Amino acid sequence: MYKRTRVYDLGYTHFIGSWAWIIHRLSGLALTFYLLLHIWVVNTLTQGPETFNRVMSFLGSPLFRYLEVGLWAVILFHAFNGARVVIVDFFAGSAVQKKLLFGLLLIAFLLWAAGSFVILSHIKH
Amino acid sequence: MKKNFKETSKTGGTAWFLQRVSAIILFTLLMLHFITYHFVGSGDVTYARVVEAMKSPWFNLIQFLFLITAIYHGFNGLWAVIEDYVHHKAWRMVLFGAVMTLALSLFFIGLLTLFKVANLA
Repeated sequence: MYKRTRVYDLGYTHFIGSWAWIIHRLSGLALTFYLLLHIWVVNTLTQGPETFNRVMSFLGSPLFRYLEVGLWAVILFHAFNGARVVIVDFFAGSAVQKKLLFGLLLIAFLLWAAGSFVILSHIKH
Repeated sequence: MKKNFKETSKTGGTAWFLQRVSAIILFTLLMLHFITYHFVGSGDVTYARVVEAMKSPWFNLIQFLFLITAIYHGFNGLWAVIEDYVHHKAWRMVLFGAVMTLALSLFFIGLLTLFKVANLA
């Protein structure tokens, strides 16, 4: 069995699936951090309409719309690579895991482009 | 097989399995969440709009399900990452406590939001 000795021990990462694994981890950590922020922000609902609407209009500024496009990308990568993990683990998809990766990431990219277009069209000029 | 805390007391099979089950639930709910909140309508989330949606018990049930699966998946994943890199018993105990505290606090905050705004309490 491969024994990982250092965090930066990346000697086995010349494979596309290993990169998917690393990016999956990093995006997972980022999304968990985002979940923390999200629950905290949504909690301002309890402080009444004025506070919540002020927070929402602040987060509706162009800067946050661009960040939302980034968030959408991170979500889609994690969701679609996660779908691949589930297919490989539960539905014996390991023989086609690379094809699955490219196929699912293509769908994810198309969803990202379409979603980003909608998000950016919400920017008020 | 001799087991110690470093190897973890169990195989981790349950956590592995539940991570995939919660992934399938989250995939569906998150896509629905993003589409309904960000892609339908003007993209503006207002207090009135949220409170209107929270009049439906089904909406609240889905939000509750979303909250527990997202927190479980996120923090189970975080713990899986920690287990890969942290092997010292004391550090593991400290970090496990921290992860659990954070997860339970977030669950409580989310639940409080849901109950207070939906006037369920």
